[in-house]
Amino acid sequence: MAEQFVCKSSEFKNGERQIIRIGEEEIGVFKHEDEYFAYSNFCLHQGGPACEGLTIARVEEHLRADKTSMGLSFSEKDMNFVCPWHGYEYDMRTGAHVADPKVRLRKYDIVKKGDDIYVVA
Amino acid sequence: MSSHEATKSLKKTAAKKALAPKAGADGDPTPAQKAAFAKAMYEGVKPGIKTARKIAQEKSDKAKSDAEKPVQKVEILRKIAAPATPVETPDTKRALQLAADIEKATQDGDFERFQPEAQQALIGALCRLYSANNDMGNHFGAVGQRSAVTATDVMVLCGALLKAVDLQVFELGLWQSWSSR
Ligand code: FES
Repeated sequence: MAEQFVCKSSEFKNGERQIIRIGEEEIGVFKHEDEYFAYSNFCLHQGGPACEGLTIARVEEHLRADKTSMGLSFSEKDMNFVCPWHGYEYDMRTGAHVADPKVRLRKYDIVKKGDDIYVVA
Repeated sequence: MSSHEATKSLKKTAAKKALAPKAGADGDPTPAQKAAFAKAMYEGVKPGIKTARKIAQEKSDKAKSDAEKPVQKVEILRKIAAPATPVETPDTKRALQLAADIEKATQDGDFERFQPEAQQALIGALCRLYSANNDMGNHFGAVGQRSAVTATDVMVLCGALLKAVDLQVFELGLWQSWSSR
């Protein structure tokens, strides 16, 4: 495992993604609210490009005190990304599938050194 | 014995020596060989001897070839831009704030906070604005990503809009197919 330089953080805008290849591995690097995340770009369903689909806020249901629903709405803080092939949805922070957290994309560590962003792979 | 014959016999002896069994009769090392081996293992490779020089050479060759190996490179395959964020004009800001207030009122069950006339005015104005944009070639989805509008909500409003202008669903279908929209 070695730190591989990806880019300068100043060149990577929030909400952007980069799909990179390091050796045999294809990795999706996300920048979300100034945090960086990197996951394998191979979907656990059928190997689709997991990191290249929609990014979408998590859907939440808010309940009143008596447990009646106030309807569904999008989370203000939690973000998911969706595999474009058949819609497997993964948590941006953990890479876990939203319906079955045991299913997780391989996560790569990100190291920040000054303005430089590295993926450990 | 001629000098030629002497050289021949010397060569023969050397060859015999080289071919002589180095181990015991049964192929096992002799006790002397075993002792020499143990001694060599104990002492390790003495610096300066041929083996030590050979090992040092091998090490430096390996270091050189490691240094020459290409560093695994990061290849950027694709860059995916962030979803477009609204341009913050003062009017857009006001409209977004109003939309957030309406959303909040709905969530709180405060359905009368915006009176029917206000809702009608908003729906009518937005309907015309959206249609005008569409005619101008500014195509965008009627509902953005961060919205929790359900399919039922859409059907209710679509039905009401058609009724407001006295249209039937089949007329909508006809118009869509004729105009290939
Ligand atoms: S391959 Fe990703 S959802 Fe099927």
